[in-house]
Parts: sequence; C-alpha cells; structure tokens
Amino acid sequence: MERNRLWTIFTIIILLTLLCFLIDSPVLPTWVPGHTWFSKQNIHLGLDLQGGTQLIYQTDTTEMPAEQRATAIEGARDVIERRVNVFGVAEPIIQTTKAGKGWHLLVELPGVKDVNAAINMIGETPILEFKEQGLPREITTSEREQIKKYNQEVLIKAEGILEQALKPGADFTALAKEYSEDTGTKDNGGDVGWFSKGMLVPEFETAVFENLVIDEITPELVKSIFGYHIIKKVDERIKEDTGLEIEMEKPEGVKIETEPVKEVRASHILIMTQSEELLQQQVNWQYTGLTGKQLKTAFVSFDPQTNEPEVSLEFNSEGAKLFGEITKRNVGKPVAIFLDNIPLSIPMVNEAILSGKAVITGSFDLIEAKELSQRLAAGALPVPIKLISQQNIGPSLGKISVQKSFIAGVLGFLIIIFFMIAYYKKRGIIAALALCIYALIVLAFFKLIPVTLTLAGIAGFVISLGMAVDANILIFERIKDEEKLGKPTIAAIHDGFKHAWTAIRDSNITTLIVCFILYYFGSGLVRGFGLTLGIGILVSMFTAIVVTKTFLELAVKD
Amino acid sequence: MFDFVFHKKKFFTISGILLLISILSLIIFGLKPGIDFTGGTMLEIEYQETSLTNNEIKDVFSNLDLGDIKIQSTGEKGYVIRLKEIDEITHQQILKLLEYPEEKKFVSIGPVIGKELTQKAKWSIGLSLIAIIFYVAWAFRKLSKISGKGESWRYGIGALLALFHDVIILLGFFSILGAFWGVEISTNFITAVLIVLGYSVNDTIVIYDRIRENLLVYRFKDMAKTINLSLNETIVRSLNTSFTTLFALLAIYLFGGASIKYFILAMMVGVGIGTWSSIAIASQLLLFKRKK
Repeated sequence: MERNRLWTIFTIIILLTLLCFLIDSPVLPTWVPGHTWFSKQNIHLGLDLQGGTQLIYQTDTTEMPAEQRATAIEGARDVIERRVNVFGVAEPIIQTTKAGKGWHLLVELPGVKDVNAAINMIGETPILEFKEQGLPREITTSEREQIKKYNQEVLIKAEGILEQALKPGADFTALAKEYSEDTGTKDNGGDVGWFSKGMLVPEFETAVFENLVIDEITPELVKSIFGYHIIKKVDERIKEDTGLEIEMEKPEGVKIETEPVKEVRASHILIMTQSEELLQQQVNWQYTGLTGKQLKTAFVSFDPQTNEPEVSLEFNSEGAKLFGEITKRNVGKPVAIFLDNIPLSIPMVNEAILSGKAVITGSFDLIEAKELSQRLAAGALPVPIKLISQQNIGPSLGKISVQKSFIAGVLGFLIIIFFMIAYYKKRGIIAALALCIYALIVLAFFKLIPVTLTLAGIAGFVISLGMAVDANILIFERIKDEEKLGKPTIAAIHDGFKHAWTAIRDSNITTLIVCFILYYFGSGLVRGFGLTLGIGILVSMFTAIVVTKTFLELAVKD
Repeated sequence: MFDFVFHKKKFFTISGILLLISILSLIIFGLKPGIDFTGGTMLEIEYQETSLTNNEIKDVFSNLDLGDIKIQSTGEKGYVIRLKEIDEITHQQILKLLEYPEEKKFVSIGPVIGKELTQKAKWSIGLSLIAIIFYVAWAFRKLSKISGKGESWRYGIGALLALFHDVIILLGFFSILGAFWGVEISTNFITAVLIVLGYSVNDTIVIYDRIRENLLVYRFKDMAKTINLSLNETIVRSLNTSFTTLFALLAIYLFGGASIKYFILAMMVGVGIGTWSSIAIASQLLLFKRKK
C-alpha cells in the first residue's frame, strides 16, 4: 500500500514536471499535442531587460466628486490604452496606482523606439468634459480681503495711467494699446465705436453723454462694475434712422414715433478690478460625469443653415443616458463643453436630448474641425494628466542585461547544486533534482500568471532558490539527527520531516509576510519582485515537502 | 559542543562596535538618496564613432542653464550625466545638442514621486517589522503556557531587536559607501532591506524553533543550556544555507551587470549580518534578565 502510494505521487510529480517543461520550452516540435498553446506562453521581460519606456502621469481629480474619481481614472486608463494600441506597441502595461491622495497612471511601453513620439501622442490626448452650471459660489472672508487689496493696487496703477493720459500731447491711442485691459478694444487704441444710450454701463454713459465734450478726457477715473475707465470722447452725431426695420401689425390708432437718437463715439482705457458681484456671477461650472470616457466617435459635420463646419459627437449607451439626464435638468440653461480645460462651446439647451448625439459648434474652419474630430475619435480623457516621471532603457542595455543576468542566474543555480551534492552526497543529488523541478515549476508560474521578470526579479528568484535549498538543508540535518539517535532510515526520514516542518513553516511565513507587503505597497518593479519571491517561497515549500520527501523515501525502499 | 552562551560578551562587543560605527556614520554622513527619492534626471549615453569631449558636453548643458550638472565618463565613448528634473521638450533639445548619441538609459523623476516613495518605504519597513513580531509571538505561544505568561513575546522582541541590528548595520554600511564612493540609495535598496528582513527573521526562527522544541521535549530548566544545545544543532544548517545563498548572490554580483550591483551587495551584506545576528544576538537576547 505504502509503496503504491509513493509511486502514485512520484508519477504525479513526473507528470507535473513534464507539463512545466512543456510550458517552459520556448519552441516545441509539431508532434507534441497542444504545441501551439505551449509555444504561446512567453516570459514577460520587464523594461530593464528588453528596453522600452516607463511613463508616470499624475491625474488631477480635485474638481470631481470623490466617489466618481475611481471610475474617471479607470476611464483615463482605458483611453490611454486605446491610444497606445494604435501606436502598435507589443504588450503595453497601463496601470493605475494610488499615490497619496491622488492617482497615478503608469504607462509601460516595452520595446518602443521613438519615445518622444509616444509621449507626444499620449500628451495630445484631448480632455473632454461636459459641465453644467452650479450654484453661485459663496465668497470667503479671505477672498474678500484679497479683492480689497488687489483693488487698492489697481487704483494706484490706474491713477498713474490717468496722469499720463492727461499730460498735454499725450497719445491716448498708444496708452490704450499699452495699458488697457479691455481685450476687445485694446488693439485698436481703445476705440469702442459708435453707441447710443442704454448700450453700455451707466457710469460710462454718464461720462460721455453728459460730462465730456469732444476730444476731452475724463479728469478723474470713472468707476464701473468692470473697473476703472479713462474715457476720451471722440465724436458725436444725431442719427435719425435707427437702422432697425421692425415690421409689426399696428393696432389702429397707435402711431409709432421715431425719435432721432444721439450717438457717441468714444475710446477708453480699462483697468480691471475684481468685485464680489463679478466673482459671484462667474459661472461655477460643475463636473457632470459626462466626459471623453463615454465618447463613441467624433466626426466633422456641417451646420445645415450656415454650412459652417462643426464637430459631431456620438456617445455610447452610458454617455447617451447621462447626456439625456444632463440636458433634461438643464433645459433653458447653458451646458459647457470643455476641451483641455477651456470652455470650447457653451450651447443653450432647448430640450432634453436623448439620442446621445451632441455637436460642438465654434469658430473653426474645416481643417481645425477635422483635426479636433480625429483627436477626439482616438479617445478623449476624462481627467487632466501630467507627465511627472519618465524612464527609458535603450534596447542595447536591455540585451546586455538579459545575457548577463541569464548567465549569473544559471551560475548561481549550478553553485547551489554543486554545493548540495558535494556536502550531502547521495541525498544532495535528490535535493538537486528537487531544485530542478522547483525551477521548472516556478518558471511555468512566471509564464502563466504572467509575472514580468526584471533584473531585481531574477535576484529574487535566486534568493528564493536559496530558501528552497534551505528547506532541504533543514530536512537533511534533521534526518541526520534522527539517525544519530539510532532510528532506522525510514523512521528517521519520517521524523526528520515532521520536526523540520515547523521551522520551514514559521520561517517561510514570515518571509511571505514581507512579500505581501512588498506586493501591496510597492509599485512597478518592487511589486513584481514581491510576487516573484512569494511564488518562489510557496513552490519551494511544496518541492521540499512533497518532492524531496517522496524521492528520499523511494530511494530508501529501492 | 561550542559554548555560544559563554562567549556572549564577545558577540555583543563585536555587534556593539558595528552598531556604533553604523550609527555614527548615519549621523555624520547620512544616506545619499538617489533620484528615485530626490527627483532629478539621469542620462546614460554612448557615442558610436566620434564622441563629444567632456568639455563640449559641459558646454551644451551650461548653455541650457539647467543648474548643477554632474558628468561622469563610462568607458571610452560613454557618459553618465546627472541633473535636475527636466521635461520632454528639454530632453529632446539636449539630445539634439549632444548630436544624437545612443541613449542607453534616460530617467527623469519628479519630486512628487520621491516623496511618495519615501513614505511608502517607511510604511513597508515599519509594517513588516510589526507583522513579524506579532507572527513570532503568535507562533511561539505554546511557550507562554509552560514558561509563564509573556514568554512568547520575549521571542518576538528578540527577533525584532535582531532585525533592528541588521537594518542599522546595513544602512550604516551604505552610508559609508555613500560618503566615500558616492553610492546612492534607490528603490531597489529599500527592496533589499525588506528582503534582508525576511531572510534574517527566517534564520532566527529556525534557531528559535529548535529552542522551542528542545524546551518542549526535554523540559530543560536551564535556559542557557537549551540555547547552547539548539545553536550547536542548527549551526551547520545556518552556515550551509547562508553560504549557498551568498555564493549564488556572488555569481550575480560578479556577472549580473552594473545596474543591480549595489542591490545584490546590499543583500549579501544583509544575509551575512542576518546569519550573524540570529546566532549572536537573537538567541542570546532570550537570556536577558531571566531568573535562573
């Protein structure tokens, strides 16, 4: 019975070894059943071994609600993966890793030659977000104080400019070009053009219609909601025809009187201030959850009325649903389409849109529209990203590393086997066999899981070899002890294993704890190392307890 | 039978001297953090045919105004250049100005990463230590039943102190390497420290396990005698295991390529110190303030 049991285990071990050998072999002859599957199992080499680049991006999720962050990051990961796949890199790795409060995106592109092109391509990924209006924001006391301080500085600056403008012979146009903060009029020397009453802010109008004569500049700063104006009245005229053609049905008895309208032309220099009202009026655009993540496709289309080019967006089913909800609750309100953090277009919602289609209109020409639609179609990010770390390994360095570490690993393996046979003679040969089986099983695990093998990982493998040997040494020493007590060999083997087990178990569990911590806290290479070592320890326990024991017992019986 | 317990004082003196040197070196020199921790750029290049001279390379960088630059030649046509963190545009500009050498390795790391790494390293080492002491105290709980309450914690704390001993000496060793040979600490070093923790405690536990067994089987009243017997019984295994591992590591150290040389060295030192501390420190600490 006992003998049968041993031979059964032995057969299972041999079959397992054979299976691992088939998985480990790089090329198999075609007569082996399932050779295509076996040959497909590759060792995954890390960047330091095969060359390539590792990029780490920081994501910015401060704007979105906490519970949506994880999905947004996942979305970003998917978009970048799509992009990278277009680039044609074999086996790219794109991972999200938690880093402090935020998230990082780790992009590994093995074997990529033109790193710069890859970075540019990822960097070109547009960030597309749909935002809705939030409630007006509260202004904090510190903001209030900041505004006050800022406005005082502005006042001093504005007075300085006024002084210059009032100097005889001063060039108002040049001053406006230099100092004015009104981007609309700055470049043409502050010229506001012709306007009539009711078109501009009241303070401005009082100055030009009542206080100033032609060619006069305001002697003092005129303060409006926008800031301080220095105004020069350029011209005035009376216009009979308002230029508006209104046709309406006139009820009988009512006469429409057209009065002559006084128009003024003026220039101004604006020095902007900050005000609480303005800050409050600023739209507080809010994250809606609808981003580039849900974008299915984008293409150029034309406005049927104006024939202007525009970019049509089509959402996937999740996006269509979201877009429907957003438009439904914002009927009569604007919804902003942000591209790369800038509001690209802010259309008003007329009715709920349930078709999952949206249009970006804007003042772009056909080429711009085409470019944008292509960028969007290749994938748009739900969150902004920033490159914070880059690591490139040239292919030649990787090649040298593979050769060197392969030689070193084999050498380390041989040294261990040589030592075991020299020291423990016959039992050493059994340990050496067990170690070979160990190596085959571990390698098979590396291929199947798959574990990305790095330089440090190879070192981890050798360390785990050392630990596998340790289990054997522990057992052999214990068997020797038991034999010294005068037990017959088979009983000595049995008791030796029994006594060695607690030591093997406790010592390996502590190392497994460290592996777990490496795996859990580490990222990238460290993580891989923890996994490599952990697998090594588990397999080494198996080979020591099952393989070495069975072989030893069989050796005694025969 | 070698009387380990009798030579206790000698063991403690040797370890004490090593600890003193390490702590002094750590206070005076500290560790030299690599760009993994500080952020920065490392560029390793090699020219195929005609190479720019050291000074020409220096000029390229001083024209770009990138702060402190360290240039180190490797071989005849190769250079390792270290500078502050740069972006991809600057990187491409540098390669152009250097007339496109073969870029063997380029690493640019933002300071954010370094901060997180330091944090993670502290956490992982701290957590490992705590997890280990708890596991040891739990695994040896049977001893509390025979030898009185808290006995198993003695083992946990003994293992912990031995680990501190190992880590401090390993850090001290690298602080000396850093001060005199400019060796920097990288992520790999932290990994090595953690592995050494695992290995050293592994070694300690094998000896503790034998002490536990001898206590349970023979019920010796004399702790010193038990420790002595256990150390003598396990010493062959300890040395055999350490030497095989060290030889295997030595093979990688000599033939495994430059980039992991210090990683392997750290493990070799750690394995050596770990074996020493299991015999000379961890086991002897069990006798500390014990009533005979």
